[in-house]
Amino acid sequence: MKRIYLHPLPLRIWHWMNALMVILLIISGIELRLPGIAALPTNNTALLVHRYAGWAMVISCVFWFMYSLISGNLQRHYMIRRRDLKGTLRQAKFYLFSIFKGEENPFRPSPEEKFNPLQKLAYGTIMCIFTGVLVVTGVLFSDILSFRKYILLLNIMKVIDATHVIGAYVFVLYLVVHIYMSTLGPKAFFHIKAMILGYEDEADEPEMIAVYEQVPGEPGATTAVISPESAVACQECHTKQGGADIDG
Amino acid sequence: MDQHDEEMEILEPAVRSFSLDHPCSRRQFLKVGGISIIGISALGPVLARGATKPLIIVEQAQGIVVADPVKCVGCGRCELACTEFIDGKASPTLSRIKVDRNLNFGPKGVFALRQGQGNWGNGLVVQDLCKQCSHPVPCADACPKDAIVVAPPGNVRVVDPDKCNGCKICLRACPWEMISFDPDSNKATKCFLCNGKPKCVEACPAESLSYVPWRDLRNKAPHRITTTAVIPPGKAAACQECHLPGAQKIVGQGIPKFFGAVKAGRPSSLRELGFKWIDMVGTALLSVVVILVTVHGVLRSVVKR
Repeated sequence: MKRIYLHPLPLRIWHWMNALMVILLIISGIELRLPGIAALPTNNTALLVHRYAGWAMVISCVFWFMYSLISGNLQRHYMIRRRDLKGTLRQAKFYLFSIFKGEENPFRPSPEEKFNPLQKLAYGTIMCIFTGVLVVTGVLFSDILSFRKYILLLNIMKVIDATHVIGAYVFVLYLVVHIYMSTLGPKAFFHIKAMILGYEDEADEPEMIAVYEQVPGEPGATTAVISPESAVACQECHTKQGGADIDG
Repeated sequence: MDQHDEEMEILEPAVRSFSLDHPCSRRQFLKVGGISIIGISALGPVLARGATKPLIIVEQAQGIVVADPVKCVGCGRCELACTEFIDGKASPTLSRIKVDRNLNFGPKGVFALRQGQGNWGNGLVVQDLCKQCSHPVPCADACPKDAIVVAPPGNVRVVDPDKCNGCKICLRACPWEMISFDPDSNKATKCFLCNGKPKCVEACPAESLSYVPWRDLRNKAPHRITTTAVIPPGKAAACQECHLPGAQKIVGQGIPKFFGAVKAGRPSSLRELGFKWIDMVGTALLSVVVILVTVHGVLRSVVKR
């Protein structure tokens, strides 16, 4: 049994704080948008909750961007590469068909690349586009004196309103799928446990690292620093004709 | 008794199919379950639509008539043009533009917000018109019948004569006393900028009146404090959806002002602005996704077995 460290502590703390805030925002947002559904006792409570959770969300969002950029998290795990094009199809096929046959997930997370192509797409869009849009429109709504003046001047209240609500619906849709898919691991709480503890258990097999087909032009594994003894071992799997033929 | 029996006849099959001791077939279960899912997902927009909301005007008026007191000669042709166009009769007391002298005597005393300028007033000619107040609109907020509405073009505040019941509360609510009252029809009436072409401006021979875009000058003038005394309780509760109690008080300078605004700010009352189709599409999509996810999960557990 091998344990790989997938989720660093700051991101784990951020994830669960963020989850709490998102839940608060969704409940109070439903109350504000559809007052017929009594999610909270009074409208004032909903307003207070939405406002304070909203400002917490702004801080959370800024933290995530700063952390992701500085730690290289964004570049490493969210950048979409050329090989992901094939991976997307393969991953979609897995979730739609082969998962019912009990097949293994074709993607295995590693500290170098912890998201499969579909995850990259979903998380990237949600974090970089929808959360951003929600936070910006939310701040505009928050009636900071100077913003309100320009909103009234440009008469774009309705545009901001529609954007915020559409973004919120997309976020809720994403959340449903996200929660469901977090239970798709070998066991129901496999991924959730990893999100809490940081480590993901892995069966004790050597070739467990994510291996995609090498795309010409992509930097491949350099063999220059592999000692001759190990290089022979390499060739047990990578035959000279079949595998990655480097330098002809 | 008969009616009761009839009711029981209708209710009984329904009660029977839901009672616990009744064996529920798979088909029945799926039918009821499916209808419940669709029903619950449809409930959101329906409930939201059913809620009655008091009318609150947030739209900004786009135009206003302003008068240059230096050019005005006090001829009163604007008042005649106003009443002749709108009411079909010459009746300066009904006029929505009010031109008279600032005289501090007579049965009525001094007019609203005109200071006496000495014991008897300064005798200057004063021109007054509806200011097309921005939110909160005092007359519209006070109206118990929601008869003062926003109308195109230019988002003017206008009295809807069908809704007005002549209670005269708006006459007291307007801080400028700019609402007129027609005793013949028993309706309040106010300036609506003659639908974008003010007749008083056309009639003015001295070019004192002009129709200009509405501009918010409140940052340059002393702050207006809206009286809430004449707002009915039902509507005052609606005000608090946006204005939290005590939330407007915290305003400082510079950075404290920013944080005060952060603390005092509120998300706008979104549902006043409509876009119900977003809710319809959103809830529909949400139920579709929930059903898909459920089907996926059920299929997975079934195939695993």
